[in-house]
Amino acid sequence: MEDQILQILKSVIGVDDIDSSVSQDNCEQWDSMAQLNLVVELEMEFDITLEPEEISEMRTFSDVVRVVKAKKAQ
Amino acid sequence: MFVFRNNTVERFFPKDYTFSGYDDISLVPSDADGYVWFYQAPLAFDTFSASEQVRAYSDKLDYVMQCIDPGKTVVALTMEPLYSVPFTDDDHLLREAVEEYNHNLFLLSDTNPNLKVIDLSEFTSAYPGEELIDWKFYFLSQMGLNPRLSKPFQEWWRRKLDSIALRRKKCLVLDLDNTLWGGVLGEDGIDGIKLSGDYPGKAFHFFQEAILSLSKSGVILAVCSKNNEADVLEAWEKNPFMVLRKEHFSAMRINWNDKASNLKELASELNIGLDSFVFVDDNPTERELIRQMLPMVSVPDFPIQPYDLPQFFSKMVEDYFRVYTVTEEDRKKTEQYKANAARSQAQSSFSDFSSFLRSLDMHLKIERADQFNIPRIAQMTQKTNQFNLTTRRYTDADVRSFIEKGWKIWCLSVADRFGDSGITGTVFVDGNRIDTLLLSCRILGKGIEGAFLKSVLYSLRDEGVKEVHAEYIPTAKNSQVKDFYDKQGFTFVGGEPDGARTYSLSLAGADLTVEDCYHVSAE
Repeated sequence: MEDQILQILKSVIGVDDIDSSVSQDNCEQWDSMAQLNLVVELEMEFDITLEPEEISEMRTFSDVVRVVKAKKAQ
Repeated sequence: MFVFRNNTVERFFPKDYTFSGYDDISLVPSDADGYVWFYQAPLAFDTFSASEQVRAYSDKLDYVMQCIDPGKTVVALTMEPLYSVPFTDDDHLLREAVEEYNHNLFLLSDTNPNLKVIDLSEFTSAYPGEELIDWKFYFLSQMGLNPRLSKPFQEWWRRKLDSIALRRKKCLVLDLDNTLWGGVLGEDGIDGIKLSGDYPGKAFHFFQEAILSLSKSGVILAVCSKNNEADVLEAWEKNPFMVLRKEHFSAMRINWNDKASNLKELASELNIGLDSFVFVDDNPTERELIRQMLPMVSVPDFPIQPYDLPQFFSKMVEDYFRVYTVTEEDRKKTEQYKANAARSQAQSSFSDFSSFLRSLDMHLKIERADQFNIPRIAQMTQKTNQFNLTTRRYTDADVRSFIEKGWKIWCLSVADRFGDSGITGTVFVDGNRIDTLLLSCRILGKGIEGAFLKSVLYSLRDEGVKEVHAEYIPTAKNSQVKDFYDKQGFTFVGGEPDGARTYSLSLAGADLTVEDCYHVSAE
C-alpha cells in the first residue's frame, strides 16, 4: 500500500524523485491543488471517503499512509 | 490555452493549460494560443443577487472578447445551474438569468466567428444531479464540479476540441445483411428482409434514416458487403421501404472478396486515407479481420439487438463524426466524391481513352463575364496555382475595369454525366494577347483545356482577330503547363532566362475544330 500511495503522490505532484520522507514542508510542488488531486485519487483508488479533518492532517507521506490505513481498517 | 473561470477547474483540463484568478478578467494574456471561458452558476440562495451576478458574467465575457485577438479561438462553455433551492415554485430568476447568459453566448458567437460555444449540458446530462457536485470539495477547494468526473470530462473536452477543429472521420463503410436490414438478402429475398412494419424491421428503417441524414452533413457512405451485386441492386430498386439506395453511396464493393482488400480498394477509389474510415459490420469476425489487418480503420462494436441501434448511432456520431459546423462544401461532398469515384471507375472500364471521354458526355458552357460570374472569375485568379499560364491575381474591380477597357473575358462551366463542376476555368484576352488562362484542377485529365482554348480562339477569329499572342510565366507550382501552348500548336517566339516563354498563332490557317466528344456551347 505504501508503494501505491507513493506512486499516486508522484503523479499528482508531478515529481518523480521523491521517497517516503516527502512532506508539504520539503516539497513545494505539494501545494493545495496537489493536495486536492491527491485526495481525489486516494478516494478513488482505495474506495474510501476522507473527511476534511483527515485531509488537513495529511501533511507528510507517513501521515497519508497512516490516515489511509486507518480508514481501510474501519 | 488560457482558462477564464470562477471556480477551481484545473483538474478538468490538460496540464499545459493556464488559469485566470477566480472571476478575474484583469489579465488577458496575449501570448496564449487560445482561450476558454468556463464560468459556472453561482451557488447562492438569494436568487436575485445570483441572477445579477450571472448577468455581470456576460458583460465580462463581452469585455474579454474585445481584448482578445480575433484570430485566436475562444471556447465558451454554456452555464448549467448545478444547485439551486428556490423556496417557491414561481421563482424562476436564476433559471432565466442562466438562459439569458447562454443566449448571449450564442449571440456573441454570431458576431465573433472566433468564439465557439459548446454545450456543457451534453456532459452534465449523463450524470444525476447529486453526482455533479461534491460539496466536500466545493467547501474545501471551491470545486464547482465533482473532481471525480475529471477523466470523462477531459475525454469529452478533447472530442469537443476536435469538433471545433472540424476533425472528423470522412467515410462510413457499411455492411448490408443484418446491418442495414434484418436478415440475409440471398436467403430471405427482396421481400423477406426486415426493413419495415414490425420490429425488428422498424429499427433497421430508423437506422437507415439516421445514416441518410448523417450523409447529408458531408459524411461519405460506402458499402462493403458479401453479396451478389445484382441482388443488392435489385433490392435497392424494388424494395419500397429502402431509405438508403444506390445513389447515396459514393462507392461500393459488393462481392465475395475479403473485406480488408475491399476497404483498401475503396480508399484508393475515393482517394481518402484509411484512417478516415469507420467500418460498421454486424459480423464480429469481419470486424476482427479489419482491426487486425487495417488497424488505422475505426471499428465500433455493433449491437446484437436491433433495438440498440439508435444508441449505437448516437455514440458513433459522437465518437467519430461530430463537427462544430458544416459548410456548403461538406453538404456537396457525397456528390463530388461519387462523381470522382464514378469517373475513375469508368476510366478503368474503357480500354481506349477517347471512348472513355465520349462516354462522359461532357458539356462545356463558355460564357462572357457578367455581374453574376465576375466574383467567381476573380476568385479563380486568386486561388488557381497549377493549371495557370500566367498566375496573375485579379480582384473583382480589376476584372470590371478590364471589361470597360474592351478586354474579352470568358468563363467555362463543365458538366458531365456524373455531375456539374460549375465555373472552373477562365480566359482573359486583351486585344490579341491572352493575358490569363486557367482551369481548376478538378476538371483536368479530360482534354477540356484544349477544347476550351480552341473554342475561344474560334470566337476571336470570328471577331476578326488574325493572330494571337500568348505567354507562359513559370511559378513554383505551374510547371505542368509549361509546354501547353506547344501542344496546342502555337509557334514558340522566344524564352527568357527565368523560364518565361512567348508564343504566337496565326488564326487564319489554324485548325480550330473541337473533337465531338465535347459538347460546346459558346457565347
